Amino acid sequence: MPPDQPTGYLIVSAVLFTIGVVGVLVRRNPLIMFMSIELMLNAVNLSFMTFAHYLDSVDGWIFVFLVLTVAAAEVVVGLAIIVSIFRARRNIDIDELDSMKG
Amino acid sequence: MNTSATFAFVALGVTATLSGLGVILFRNAVYSALSLILNLFSLALFFLLLNALFLAVVQVLIYTGAIMVLFLFVVTMLAPEAQETEQRDPIRWQKGAAAGLGVILAGGLSYILFSSVISPAARASTANSLSKMIDQFGSIQAFGMGLFHGFLFPFEVTSILLVVAIIGALVLGRRASKD
Repeated sequence: MPPDQPTGYLIVSAVLFTIGVVGVLVRRNPLIMFMSIELMLNAVNLSFMTFAHYLDSVDGWIFVFLVLTVAAAEVVVGLAIIVSIFRARRNIDIDELDSMKG
Repeated sequence: MNTSATFAFVALGVTATLSGLGVILFRNAVYSALSLILNLFSLALFFLLLNALFLAVVQVLIYTGAIMVLFLFVVTMLAPEAQETEQRDPIRWQKGAAAGLGVILAGGLSYILFSSVISPAARASTANSLSKMIDQFGSIQAFGMGLFHGFLFPFEVTSILLVVAIIGALVLGRRASKD
């Protein structure tokens, strides 16, 4: 079913990764920055799955599974950090959180 | 590639790109989270196009079913206070520069992809060929054989990772006790 070269899938992956990078750099709400990081991780997942199909190897699937697991753990801890920052300061604008600035 | 597969791929590609843009462009964080759900679901359909049933279902169950629900909990808890962000940027040319550099990055990656091909010699040997395993056993068993025959140690380490993450979230979520 898919074409004989993976170019289309990899271009979708590259575009999604770039959108995620721009989102992390531009947005100041830490929740949306976190969602952009998840977008980047999913773009890389699509890339792994494409190569698993085109190189006919199950290792790509295993990497996607491990990336999924690590992303789940990271989301749990990251959201706990954001919630505790919010509890301490009632303000989650990233540019305002500069008390450690040198 | 027949026309229905081409149509499916183009439709999914457009959906994934537009919902990805929706994640970073919406002012309201809840709309961003819903856009991300649509994006993750279209990626699961991409996995289906690539003949991976098990991982498509796992993506829907875990990413959209658990991780995004957790995101939505936190977003709706913090949503009213979060509306006041994004009013003004300290660096005014930041958004234009980011968009321009993003186009350069995506263009550079696409150029590399357009000017390269995968040679048939790079495919895995027929002993552990994935398409053969899927045809013979199904995708769940193919995935299981790969995980437990070659990647057993990383699998066990992820269990430790998850325990550490749970303990970390519990410690961070506790309110400070009054002494």
